[in-house]
Amino acid sequence: MGNTGDTGSDEYLVLMKNIVKIYPDGTIALRGVDFTLRRGEIHGLLGENGAGKTTLMKILAGILKPTSGTIYVVGKKVVFSAAADALKLGIGMVHQNLSLIPSFTVYENIVLGLPRKQLLNARENINKLMSLTGLRVPLDERVEVLPFGVKQKVEILKMLFRNVDVLILDEPTTNLTLTETRELFNMINELKKMGKSVVFITHKLREVMEVADRITVLRKGRVVGEVPRAEANLNLLAQLMVGRNMISATSRETTTAGEELLIVRDLWVLSDLGTWAVRGVSLTVRSGEILGIAGVEGNGQKELVEGLTGLRRVEKGEVIFRGRRINNLPPSELYKLGIAHIPEDRTLMGLILDFTVSENSILSIQRSTSFRGFLNTLVWGRVAEHALSLITKFNITAPSLSSPVKYLSGGNQQRLVVAREISKEPQLIIAAQPTRGLDISATEHIRSLLLDFRKRGKAVLLVSSDLEEILQLSDRVAVMYEGRFVGIKNVSELTEDKLGLMLGGVSD
Amino acid sequence: MSYVLSTIINLLVSTSYAMTPLTLTAVGEITSERAGVVNIGLEGMISVSALVSVAVATQTLNPWLGLLAGVCAGALIGFIHGIISAYGKGAQIISGVGINIFALGFVPYMIIALWGVAGYKQVPEAGRIPRIAGLVSPIFIFCVLIAIATHYILFRTSLGLKIRALGEEPQAADTLGVHVERLQLIATVYGGALAGLAGAFMSLDWLGTITKEIAAGRGFISLALVVFSNWKPSLALLGGALFGSSWALTEWLKVLPGVKGVVPVTIINTLPYIVTLGTVAGVIGRARPPRKSGVPYLRE
Repeated sequence: MGNTGDTGSDEYLVLMKNIVKIYPDGTIALRGVDFTLRRGEIHGLLGENGAGKTTLMKILAGILKPTSGTIYVVGKKVVFSAAADALKLGIGMVHQNLSLIPSFTVYENIVLGLPRKQLLNARENINKLMSLTGLRVPLDERVEVLPFGVKQKVEILKMLFRNVDVLILDEPTTNLTLTETRELFNMINELKKMGKSVVFITHKLREVMEVADRITVLRKGRVVGEVPRAEANLNLLAQLMVGRNMISATSRETTTAGEELLIVRDLWVLSDLGTWAVRGVSLTVRSGEILGIAGVEGNGQKELVEGLTGLRRVEKGEVIFRGRRINNLPPSELYKLGIAHIPEDRTLMGLILDFTVSENSILSIQRSTSFRGFLNTLVWGRVAEHALSLITKFNITAPSLSSPVKYLSGGNQQRLVVAREISKEPQLIIAAQPTRGLDISATEHIRSLLLDFRKRGKAVLLVSSDLEEILQLSDRVAVMYEGRFVGIKNVSELTEDKLGLMLGGVSD
Repeated sequence: MSYVLSTIINLLVSTSYAMTPLTLTAVGEITSERAGVVNIGLEGMISVSALVSVAVATQTLNPWLGLLAGVCAGALIGFIHGIISAYGKGAQIISGVGINIFALGFVPYMIIALWGVAGYKQVPEAGRIPRIAGLVSPIFIFCVLIAIATHYILFRTSLGLKIRALGEEPQAADTLGVHVERLQLIATVYGGALAGLAGAFMSLDWLGTITKEIAAGRGFISLALVVFSNWKPSLALLGGALFGSSWALTEWLKVLPGVKGVVPVTIINTLPYIVTLGTVAGVIGRARPPRKSGVPYLRE
């Protein structure tokens, strides 16, 4: 790190000029971006996935090095060689997947790496900081047992305890409940009163309108707008962000629900910790319908999906698919019976990131005779044909069939997963958080694929913590709370407000 | 003194010898793995250090210089492994295997090259570490102290917090200004030095000889001890005593009337290894390794 020269202006706490970032694989993430941050300002950084928001802020936080461009902090040119350098200058970033050490206590996470003299009164000072900011966390609890919202508070405290002036929050509300989001916004406003600056990275229009003083919109690595909140409105921001008028919500055609495909009676499933995660859930999914399961994450949805897809033992209850009991059958059997699965985490469960597009396109159907030739060996030509047909049919953008899927954007990775699952021609798709972290166009695309699947008389069991998605896609909606259903209702009987109550465990 | 009492004392004393190299090596490896670097080259480090310490002790007839040389040899190998693992981001298992293979050739060769004998060299009396009251090794005492001290450092100091952070989530530590590579290197050098001390102890103190098979699997048993102790130096001390006593028992069984000449020695010799296997098999799955141990830390 070096402070050289006094160019740049004092008006801004942070001034980033003409930042370009080209990744080693050739991806151009930023194409000459200017960004400014004032003292005591809440600055919304808005954009779709892949717009370059996170890359830009990782550069400011010293985690990534820019390919070119300059950064001024309080008027002084700075070059960061590590995140620690930025932290010394009071710039701290809270990542979407937090960088905490799970097996350490909250206290240990906060004081990690501090010089000894700061450790003497650390506990006392953290307590002071907690009452000052209203961020209350249990200091002696191990981080891994805390819910996400609390972990995030720990991460923010960790930064504040290091006296940051600039706090960068990367999509902080992704995993938060409504109440937690409210708390976060209050906290951000408290920080503003303390004179701190906050960069709020998001793709959520309402949130940025609610919390930001000024909004910079990025699209495909360029700044396409910088608006004070007073001059902003939802439509303007949406247009800037997407570059076209926002697609109206996918309309749902009515279909008549047919036979009962999947019947679940009194299902009980354990969590990793050995406690009951699913406590007696019953449901039916008919052909031609989408059953949506809403709920704040961590209420047993993950275990429910894993129980139904053969990834986790069903302890009690019955799972019946087309008249056959399928409790605890292995996933491969379930595929053969006509159940496909779009898993929650595409990078861990849906794809093998280092495998190519072709290879990933036949995962779990690799035994199909259509890919086999002499002596049962795989015929790569046929695999490539299959992959190519998926790519064209489902509009997947990939550098080539032989590039590892890790080089595809999140949206295209998920398109590939969905395409592969649909290509198995199942009767039922169990889709968990199918559009999480995706940009608007990928989200719309995947939702329309699921609706299309339903229109063809098939069924979808949709698990999502995105209420808008649940309301847009589902025919019937169940809300999961503490391992149970708070109720199953037709979507026409529901409003977002009503759902909000149910999410909090309040049934009428 | 009754037979029972003297037997018990004998067993305790031989346990103290047998446990020292296992505990020392395991405590060093725990430190290194807590910092995220796995070293499966312990076996090789023990034998090379044993050799170097004997070479220096026979030359100088000063056991302490020999001891120091052994520690330095271990630390040097640890340093090389640390450079490869922490800075080079290399495959730690490969580097560790390399150390073992190196020792496999180096030690027998040097025994012949230095002393012109194949496979075996006695340490002269003046080159051996003196014992306290003719019974207890000062290195055993040191071993107990270092296990406790390392435990204290790892779990009670901010340095320990940093070291443990590296094995769990080096990126989190890096962001907060912890020097990941430097600290990993220090931890591997420390681990190497303790394995070196274990080797020097075996040749200059316990056995008083250097053989090409001096380590006899102790490096690998130490790795098992690391798992058994759930990566805690205090438990490694306890586990070392357990494993060590099985060694002591083996020696005792071999000469026990009724066993001697009846049960083949080779079968009795397997006892410590079976105890290791049994206890570790029982512990595995319950132990919780550092999450990122053995994984090279790459920045974005």
